[in-house]
Amino acid sequence: MSTELSQAHIAELTGRFQRQLGEIQRPEDVELLRRDLLGKEGTVKELFKKLRDVPADEKPAIAQLLNELKERVESELDAKDQSFKMKALQKQLDDQYLDLSLPEAGSGLGAVHPVTIVEERITEILRPFGFENVMGPEIETDYYCFDSLNIPKHHPARDMQDTFYTETGHVLRTHTTSVQARMLQHRALFENGKLPLKIASLGRVYRNETEDASHQSMFHQYELVWVAEGLSLSNLMGLITHILKELYGKRRKVRFVPKFYPYTEPSIGPQIDCSVCKGDGCGACGGAGWVTVGGAGMIHRNVLQEFKFDPEKVSGFAFGLGTSRLAGQLYNFPHLRSVYENDLRVLKEIV
Amino acid sequence: MKLQVRLLEKWMEIPECTPETAARSQLRHTLDDIGLEVKSIEVSPEKGVVFTIETLANRGDHLYVMGVARELAARTLAQIKLPTLAAKLSDRKASIPVRRLTEKCPRYALLEMSLPAEMPLRNDVAAFVEEPGKHPAIVDILNYTQIEFGQPMHAFDADKIDGEIIIDISTKNEEIEALDGKTYKVPEGSILIRDRKKIVAVAGVIGCSNSMVTATTRKVYIEAAVFDPTTVRITARAMGIGTDASHAFERGVDPEGIHVALKRLVTLAEGSAGSIPGAESAHALGLTYLEANAPEKRKVNVALSHLRRELNMPRLEEVEIVARLKHLGYSVEATTVGKDREFSLAIPSWRLWDCRNREDIVEDVARSVSLNRMRTELPALDYEAPAKNPVETVFQRVRSAVLGNGFFEVITKGFYSAADVALLESLHRGVGAQHIALKNSLEQSNSHMKATNILHATKLLAANRKRGVRAPKVFEFCRIFTKPAELPSDEPKERDALDYNYERDVLCLASAGRWSDVEWRKGESLEEYARLFKGAIAAIVKSLGCEFSVGKSENKFLHPGMQASIKMGRSVVGFFGVVHPTIREACDLKEEAFYAEFDLRLVYKLMSKVEAPAVSDLPQISRDLTLKIDLKEQAGRVLRILHELHLESVAEASIIDDFRKQEESFRRVTYRVTFQRADRTLKHEEVDTAMATLLDALKTKHSIEMMM
Repeated sequence: MSTELSQAHIAELTGRFQRQLGEIQRPEDVELLRRDLLGKEGTVKELFKKLRDVPADEKPAIAQLLNELKERVESELDAKDQSFKMKALQKQLDDQYLDLSLPEAGSGLGAVHPVTIVEERITEILRPFGFENVMGPEIETDYYCFDSLNIPKHHPARDMQDTFYTETGHVLRTHTTSVQARMLQHRALFENGKLPLKIASLGRVYRNETEDASHQSMFHQYELVWVAEGLSLSNLMGLITHILKELYGKRRKVRFVPKFYPYTEPSIGPQIDCSVCKGDGCGACGGAGWVTVGGAGMIHRNVLQEFKFDPEKVSGFAFGLGTSRLAGQLYNFPHLRSVYENDLRVLKEIV
Repeated sequence: MKLQVRLLEKWMEIPECTPETAARSQLRHTLDDIGLEVKSIEVSPEKGVVFTIETLANRGDHLYVMGVARELAARTLAQIKLPTLAAKLSDRKASIPVRRLTEKCPRYALLEMSLPAEMPLRNDVAAFVEEPGKHPAIVDILNYTQIEFGQPMHAFDADKIDGEIIIDISTKNEEIEALDGKTYKVPEGSILIRDRKKIVAVAGVIGCSNSMVTATTRKVYIEAAVFDPTTVRITARAMGIGTDASHAFERGVDPEGIHVALKRLVTLAEGSAGSIPGAESAHALGLTYLEANAPEKRKVNVALSHLRRELNMPRLEEVEIVARLKHLGYSVEATTVGKDREFSLAIPSWRLWDCRNREDIVEDVARSVSLNRMRTELPALDYEAPAKNPVETVFQRVRSAVLGNGFFEVITKGFYSAADVALLESLHRGVGAQHIALKNSLEQSNSHMKATNILHATKLLAANRKRGVRAPKVFEFCRIFTKPAELPSDEPKERDALDYNYERDVLCLASAGRWSDVEWRKGESLEEYARLFKGAIAAIVKSLGCEFSVGKSENKFLHPGMQASIKMGRSVVGFFGVVHPTIREACDLKEEAFYAEFDLRLVYKLMSKVEAPAVSDLPQISRDLTLKIDLKEQAGRVLRILHELHLESVAEASIIDDFRKQEESFRRVTYRVTFQRADRTLKHEEVDTAMATLLDALKTKHSIEMMM
């Protein structure tokens, strides 16, 4: 290489660099060329050292050319290097394959039962009202299940609830209303009649029935009880409407029909428009266009009096929902039995 | 109750209802809305539209057309057209005496009637009774009159009655042959109708064949009475008989309705016979009527403001309330009390059974006005955070651990069969006696309350394996029931949400098949599976803020060599292990199953807040040691011993290997103990001293030696 530093010399060096760059086939040659040109003793570095020998009037122009050369070499070597890396990456990507259609491993997440899902939804809806969830015993006395609830022995209302009797002289609770009796008694005996009482009694109940697709000897109920001063039937209907609209959707229609339950008076039956026919009447709703979703009413004065609450000062209401039936409606189970079949093929889909 | 629309039309103007529109008719809607819910509809050319109505259990007056008409009229304010009634029954008494020997029959009428030789049934009666002509016409007329007015009546062939009618109470061991030809034992304490020699009817339930009316009967005694509802109900249930009459008496008949019903009967009977020109007619010959006391005159007072407030209808007019109540049969007197109006309501006789206080009046007004006209309103909120339910609290805490390990919640029945109890008894002598038997179960599979959930869980696993589920893993929060040796008192006690006399809340886990639901990989070995199952249990305990360990367990329903207790801290809260082969085989499960049970009462007591542990970034020092452990000894015991030594600076201890040489009668279990302090770097000498203490304790106190 000539020791002269001139514009021509720089131009010649530039041309050479272009040729050498074009001839590079391997990524390691990029680094070799970078070292030859830009290394401590590389050609470009050496040229910069000779700059001090260039006449003063030519120095700026030569210096500029040298800087341009250096920048060009750096950027084109970087680009060349990057192109090798990209090719290598592309080859790697082309070579690698993972068949993600193969089965997933791990045990996966479990899930809670549809009945629990419904219970949790109702609990969530009721959260702003401050109801305490209470479960209570399932083996009950006649007193809590019937007598204290204004259902004396041999009353026709007992026909509505075929009862299991145990060898110990007890009954299996036929409804979660027995918890209402226990809680009222507890407030009266141990809590000086403290009000308001706001409880949600939920859990298993039992009916002594011959089992088939629609009749099960064990199922679930969810009952609200609110006892305080000044509660009215209109309040009960307002709360039920709120719950049903939250559960079934704001557009669903709600209506009430008169009913009879021995422990409430007045007694009412909340109904929603049939989800199948939208209220037009079909086989699913017996042509009525409406489906009963529970039972409710103002707590009977005899029940309040049984537990030393004065019905002239205090009133209360109760609203019972069939949680099993709700779960069936929510997930389109064909019948009540299938809610309790514990078929994991089905439960796995309800996550 | 079957309600023929054509019959109702004879009584009043009714809302629109044709055979074509019956299901969606205004009449059906109105009936539903007033609490006479239409459950099904039949339409036929002979009978037109017939609604089957679900009547309310407290309303005997809903069982007949007049009662339904009153309810409808209170809504529509239509006038009821009463049918023709005989002006008078008879001035003479019946030709035989009647003696009333029990207070359980407050009213009794005996009407004596002559019948003509030929007595065809009127068409307007035949159209509305079941199987017209099957019985003598007088019987069809009795039944029809009950359909109209609700008063059950019974006819005796007068020639078969011996001299007297006595209303009496049955004694032990009395029997009858009933009209259906069957022989029944009459329960003691039932109301009986006797003549001088025999029982002729079980009052309110069924008549006897010995006094049955036939086509040749020329004279009848017609009985119309009021019987005690409870006594009729007990008798009918004990005899296993349910008739229209017993149904009506059980709900209470109108104590002042007897004479009206008899007048209607006479009109229809005389009219039937008179339909044949020149033929002899039926005639009332005499009437004996006994009454214990004058009917009660009950009154209830209710204020206009109270009705308006309860119904949330501030503009409900007095005139509307009065009109509706009058249509329901109330006599209404209204007076001004201060700024309010007060109604004094005389309860109609047919409502004396169910109407007692102002809530009944609110109900009647709401029903006649329509519940759906009321303005609903949420109660005022006075929020106070409620107490938390223990089972739900535990569930919330363990939820991630259970679901994260792939367990699905199931709900099993609360009972099982006598065969199930026998199976458990074969494994655990005496457990059968702890089961609570059900006295009256209709299903054999529901004869006993379950005292353990292991059977249901194992059956459920088997069923799901048969359905092709490869990795059934289930959990359940359930109740199990046991009978204590001495029955506890049912006296009320201070509340403890988990303390019940006969039942316990438990959390169960069960699984079988594979742990991971992946078919193309080899399933886990029993040892691997056990560790995965145990991992789920450990996760549950840790999520409850407690240290997890296991101990010895002797549950009879688990494999004796494959089970352990579950400890939270130092307390046993449950057990887990492999289901006993006898149970597994009985449940038709082909492979090993795992089962765990937590006692929620104990869990709830012991659970504590989960706290972030103190961690250190200073160096750790670990020591491994291999110990000789007996083949049937729990290797985890060493970890408990280490824990109880409370050695300072031990950060963690675990089992890292379990190996057995075939020729050796013990296992070589390797443990790793890791030491670390948060405040300074440990010295090896300190660790050596701690290890020496451990080894000494193992050797001297527990006879566990290190492998050399």
